[in-house]
This record gives sequence, C-alpha cells and structure tokens, in this order.
Amino acid sequence: MKNNWWKILTVLLLVFTVVVGMLSEVPRLAILNETIRNLYFHVPMWFGMILILLISVVYSIKYLRSPTIKNDVVAYEAAKVGILFGVLGIVTGMEWAKFTWGEYWSNDPKQNAAAIGLLIYFAYIVLRSSFAEQQQRARISAVYNIFAFAALIPLLFILPRLTDSLHPGNGGNPGFNAYDLDSKLRMVFYPAVLGWTLLGIWIINVRTRFEILRQRLYETV
Amino acid sequence: MKLFRILAICSFMLCTLAGIQHAQAQPAQTQVEYSSAPATTEVEMADTLRQDGKIYVVVIVLLTILAGLIIYLIMLDRKVSKLEKQFKE
Repeated sequence: MKNNWWKILTVLLLVFTVVVGMLSEVPRLAILNETIRNLYFHVPMWFGMILILLISVVYSIKYLRSPTIKNDVVAYEAAKVGILFGVLGIVTGMEWAKFTWGEYWSNDPKQNAAAIGLLIYFAYIVLRSSFAEQQQRARISAVYNIFAFAALIPLLFILPRLTDSLHPGNGGNPGFNAYDLDSKLRMVFYPAVLGWTLLGIWIINVRTRFEILRQRLYETV
Repeated sequence: MKLFRILAICSFMLCTLAGIQHAQAQPAQTQVEYSSAPATTEVEMADTLRQDGKIYVVVIVLLTILAGLIIYLIMLDRKVSKLEKQFKE
C-alpha cells in the first residue's frame, strides 16, 4: 500500500475532475458555451501525452547509457501509452472542433502538426517491430525515439505559434493568459492534467511489469 | 518507478506554482471580457439542466465509466502483482 499512494491519488484526481469539472461555474463564452469543459478532458490528453513521451525519452536515454531490459521496456510501453493519449487527443479535438469551428478537420496548423507528430510516433512502432534481434531493436528504437521527441516539440509548440491558428494561445500569443484560462478553470485544469497523466503512468506501470515478467519467463523456460 | 513519480510530482508542482503566481498576479483581470457578445448573461448555458439536476445524470454516467475502467486496471494490477510473487517463489 505504501508504494501505491499515487494510484489512490490518481483515482481521487479523476473523480474530482469529472465531478467538479461538470458542475463548477465556467466562463460564459459565445460559441464555446458549455463545451469549454472539454478543457478538462481534451487538453489533458495532450499534456499527458507530452509528459508520458518525455518519460519514454528519458528511459531511451537511460537505455543508451546502461542497456538493461527494464529501460527498454519502459521506453516502449511509455511511447505506446503516449500514442494512445495522442490519438484520444486528436479524436476528442476533432469532435470538439466540429461543433465550435464547424469542421472536424479545418487544416489548423496545430491539428496538422499534431497529426504529423503522431505519424512520427507510429513509425517508431513500425521501426521497432522490424527487428528480430533484441539489442539491435532496443538500441535503434531508442535513438529514433530521441529524434521523434525532438521533432514533436517544435511541431506542437513552436511552428503553430508562428502562424495563425484556431487554437488559443497561437498566432503570436504565449500559452495561457487571462483571455483563455481564468483561475476557476485552472483549479480543475491542473488536477485534471495530473490525474490523466498519472492514469497513463499507472497503465505503463502495469504493462511494464507484465512485459518484464513475460521476458523473464521466456528466459527461464 | 521512482523517476516516474518524481517527474510527475515536479511537473505538477511547477504547474500549480505557475497557476498560483498567475492567479495572484492578475486578480483584477479575471473579469476580462471574453468575447464580443454584448452581455455575458445572454450566452446560453445549461443552467436549467443543472438546476433540474439532470446534469447529475451525466456525472453519474461518467463516474460509472471511470469507476469501471479504474476497477479493471486495479484488477489487472493485482493479477500482475500475484504473478510477480509466484515468479519469485
């Protein structure tokens, strides 16, 4: 139980997100109306994705410094959960966009960049599955993972800012200002980000333990 | 695993710090006009739905789904823990 306090925290944060996120007061904005509550569900997918992919990169670097099976497995599982969050982020974003921007896909710079970023990470999985030899697979995919993350950051955070975008905080403006995020929203938004990210880490935790167990079993058999 | 937690906690603390600082720095600006709509009260919101209590139905449904997923994950977690124990023996 001592080591699992963060799992309890995850559950509490997510319950808080759903209950307070649905019932609290939100700014009254034209066009957005109640859909502003998507801020607690759509945006944390992307924040969670970035944090989880950061974990993946850290473990890839760790693998290159000390090649253990654990480092490789964590990097891979984290990348997969990060991709899951990214896909959920892009799908929820399209649903939200349909009813506020008018189109599922309006070729918004950030939408396009997010799609490219996800494709880069799909390639990671394809690349990984194309090696039969374990060490070669782990080493080359670790190197690719570092490049993928390095490409993702400008795609999501720099390039959309250089041009006009439908997303808030783009087209010259820095991210959160009083215009698009007031303190009432923040009170739910940050716990939501932490809650969803911890849920992703929990999934990584279970999958990693399972995968390591499986590999050990094969070694002994 | 330790690194996970440290990373998550650090990022959370940074976020909250940034949030608190921002909130403290601009207490007067929370009333900023958000749109060009004339009066804020005219914007349609689901007030009636909440007053009637029907929004709670949605909250319950969401909580049920969340609970189902989390219970599933907990069970998966336990299964793996059990296997780990068995493997050690």
